[in-house]
Amino acid sequence: MIGNTEKIWLSLIGLTLLGAVLGETGNTGWPLTLTVVVLIFIKGSIVIDYYMEMRFANQRMRNVLRLFITIVPILVILSFAWGEEIRQLTTLN
Amino acid sequence: MTPLDPNPANSSSSTPQPSAISETAVVYGRVPGNTGIWVGIFCVLVEFLMLFTAYFIARVHNPEAFLNGPDKLVTLAGTVITLFLLSSGYCMVKAVDSIRNDQAKTSVRWISLSIILGFGYPLVKYFELNWYIENGVNAETGVFYAAYYYLTLNHLVHVTWGLMGLFFVAYRTATGAYTSQSYSGLEAAALYWHTTDILWIVLFSFFYILR
Repeated sequence: MIGNTEKIWLSLIGLTLLGAVLGETGNTGWPLTLTVVVLIFIKGSIVIDYYMEMRFANQRMRNVLRLFITIVPILVILSFAWGEEIRQLTTLN
Repeated sequence: MTPLDPNPANSSSSTPQPSAISETAVVYGRVPGNTGIWVGIFCVLVEFLMLFTAYFIARVHNPEAFLNGPDKLVTLAGTVITLFLLSSGYCMVKAVDSIRNDQAKTSVRWISLSIILGFGYPLVKYFELNWYIENGVNAETGVFYAAYYYLTLNHLVHVTWGLMGLFFVAYRTATGAYTSQSYSGLEAAALYWHTTDILWIVLFSFFYILR
C-alpha cells in the first residue's frame, strides 16, 4: 500500500515530468507561462507543506515560505505582461 | 485547537498530533528544526530572490535571448536533476520519520540514500556542463547562458552545503545523538535540504521550460 509520503513524492515526480514535456514542446506565450507559474506554485507548496511539514507548523514561518513561491510567479507574469515597461524602468540612461 | 491554529501557545509539546504526510508526530504551531537553520533558510531565500530579480531584468532587456535560450540546454539533464533532488528530499522525510520512531539505524539508511541521490545532482551537472562546453555553450555565449551558469552554479554551492549537512547528521544519527525526544539537528538539515528543492523547482522552470 502506498503511504501519504509516497503519494506526495509521486505527485512531485508527475508534475516535474509534465513540466519537462512542456519544455520539450517548444511552445511559447501565455498558456505556457501560466502553466509554468502554476507548476512552480503547486510544487513549491507541496514541498513546503509536506516535505518541510509546515502545514501545521508555525504559520508565520509558513507564510514567509509561501510568500517566496508566490512572489516568483508574480515576477514571471509581470515580466511577461509588462516587459517593455519594466525594461524602460530599469534602463539607466 | 484547530489544525491551522497559528498560536504556538495553544500547542502541546506532550501531545503530538498526527502529520498529514506520514504516521509521524507533529506538534501544531511549532517551529521545526532550530532557530539557526531558519535564519540561514531565510537568508538563502532573500539571496535567491535578488538573483531572480536580476534574471527578470536581464529577461526584459533581452527577450529574444531568453526566448531561444532553452533550445541549447538539455531538458533531460534538468529533469533528472529535479527527480534526484525531489527523491532525495523524500528520503529525508523518511529519515526524520524514522528517528521519531526511535529507529536510528533505519534513519541512517534513509539519510545515506538521500546523500547518494543528492550526489546525482553534481554528477549530472558535471556531464551536462561538459556537453555544453564541448558544444560551445558557455557564459560568454549570451546573457541567457551567463544567467544560467551564475544561478545554477550558485545553487550547486548551496546543495554542496546541504550535502555536507547530511553527512554530518548521518554521522550524528549513527552515533546515537538523536532520539525521538531530541532530533532538531536532523530536522534542521532536512529543512535546509528541502529549501534547495524549492530553489531548484524555480530554476528548472526558468531555464529549461519558460520561454
